[in-house]
Amino acid sequence: MAELIPGAPRARIVDRGYRAYAGPRSGGRGAVVTVWRQSVQRALGLRRSPWAKILPVVSVAISYVPAIVFIGLVALVPTDELTDIDPLPTYGEYFPFIQAAITLFVAFVGPEVLCTDRRTGMLGIYLASPLTRDTYLSAKAAATFTVLSLVTVGPPLLMLVAYMLQGVGPDGPAGVAATFARIVVAGAALSLLYTAVSMGVSALTDRKAFATAALLLLVVVSSLFMAVFIEAAELPGSLYALSLINGPFNLVQLIHGEEPLVTDLTLPAAIAGVAAWTLLGAAVCRTRYQRLQVTR
Amino acid sequence: MSSVAPAAPAALGADTMVIRASGVVKSWGTTLALAGADVVVGPGVTGLLGANGSGKTTLFGLLLGLHRPDKGTIAVLGLDPTKAGPDVRARVGYSPEHHSLPPDVKAVDFVRHVAEMHGLPRREATGRASDVLWQVGLGEERVRPLGTMSTGQRQRVKLAQAIVHDPVLVLLDEPTEGLDPVQRDDMLALIRRVGHDFGIHVVLSSHVLDEVERVADAAVILHAGRVVSSGALSDLQATSTGGVVVEVAGDGAALVDAVAARGVPVQVEGARIYVTGGPEVFDLVRDELARLELPVRRLEPRRRSLEEVFLSAGLVGGQARSPEGSHG
Repeated sequence: MAELIPGAPRARIVDRGYRAYAGPRSGGRGAVVTVWRQSVQRALGLRRSPWAKILPVVSVAISYVPAIVFIGLVALVPTDELTDIDPLPTYGEYFPFIQAAITLFVAFVGPEVLCTDRRTGMLGIYLASPLTRDTYLSAKAAATFTVLSLVTVGPPLLMLVAYMLQGVGPDGPAGVAATFARIVVAGAALSLLYTAVSMGVSALTDRKAFATAALLLLVVVSSLFMAVFIEAAELPGSLYALSLINGPFNLVQLIHGEEPLVTDLTLPAAIAGVAAWTLLGAAVCRTRYQRLQVTR
Repeated sequence: MSSVAPAAPAALGADTMVIRASGVVKSWGTTLALAGADVVVGPGVTGLLGANGSGKTTLFGLLLGLHRPDKGTIAVLGLDPTKAGPDVRARVGYSPEHHSLPPDVKAVDFVRHVAEMHGLPRREATGRASDVLWQVGLGEERVRPLGTMSTGQRQRVKLAQAIVHDPVLVLLDEPTEGLDPVQRDDMLALIRRVGHDFGIHVVLSSHVLDEVERVADAAVILHAGRVVSSGALSDLQATSTGGVVVEVAGDGAALVDAVAARGVPVQVEGARIYVTGGPEVFDLVRDELARLELPVRRLEPRRRSLEEVFLSAGLVGGQARSPEGSHG
């Protein structure tokens, strides 16, 4: 390195001493934002080892693959020939294509965001900050919601933008706005539901693997059981609202104004089912954290 | 921002006490953790002494506002943590007892994150994280993942995260747990620096009496959920039941014989003569010194070790048994 002043002695400061801080502090709100940002980064594997990035990257990539394929079809096939091939899926019909990716992502994100803090002792350090138990959970829920929205809102939004650029999107600004709103509301409903359920399950254990397994069992097995039970007992189809797969995915179709796969499932019933699971998950999580002893 | 020279502990406003707790009762189910503890902690470094299960960690949780006491009142830095928990915690640093920290996070990222949680802007938090890791002797190790660090290094990281946001008070829960003797000496020296050079009030919990003697200005002794003794270390060590230490110029044998002849226990260690007894032995020794016309080099209350303080109170075990049984 060249000397700035010829002949001057080289020196470096190795100890700046302990410095008091008298600047601004952002309080509880700043703490929530910090925890939210750190949790999003952690769930996505950012600033972590390459191994920690694999699952989130693969899950997100899988959820976007069908959208990219459909966009490619629109881009490569002439518009007048598009009607000759199998019709493109609607926004509501898109989710069954990525059901596995969403389920995998849900089973991974909640435990990563919530269990890790208890396992590593970070919870005690978090709660010794201006955070309260409720604001801590709010930050964690916001982080989980944000990450899940990458796969529930992102792909259909990408389809909308690409279709508009190709000239096969909704008609007029009003149509675009309405479709945009439906995509956001439907995606938010899915994210909200799965945030609450994954946090509810993750609150019950500090082991990520246990929470992930429990979530997969809850989402997949309960949905299969519900389907078999309803069919075998010839119960009303509206009970599918309580399924963690059929209920929310049919709700998405209803929000988009489409005919749901379960024909006798109404919008109020689907909303009630999703709301019930959401409230149950949130109640389990909050109750568990209110009772946790965290100082050790 | 200016660099701070060695400073007196931070000002506390009208109330000069850092912590005031009165009649604090806290149960965990059927287990009584605190049975009416009265705690007063002043400025400087204070040791919270007690056996395992005596209620030290529970008291820290209450001071931080993480739990509500079943009975009693608490004020930390003049604030009630049950009502103003976030405000209290914004001004307090805390180092937990456990050693587990996120293994895949770098020390500097971890400390910066804690600084940001306490409201410091990102740039300031980043600078202070590096600085404070240098201060605790981890400057070269600051980019290492926490999972690769030794117990001693993790204890230093825990101390760094507790002081990175420049708190008024820092609570250290068993900060020397798991350290070898050399690491323990280093950690105690660090804690002393934090309390006396950095201007941060320190409360450290420990069940090792010697540590508190070496680093603290005052001590609070918890036993079975109650405070059995507290005050400045010099006062605790020089209670009236400790007796007196005498050092005379020349041969002190005459004094030893004279005191022993009055039926008072007396012991000689080198040049020092230890006379055991209550306040009356001061008068006795003074009178004998005058009668024998011995030149005095030292005449002072005998300072007991905290271990003697602990044992003299008959303190065995630690955990409170029941609200009724804990009285007395």
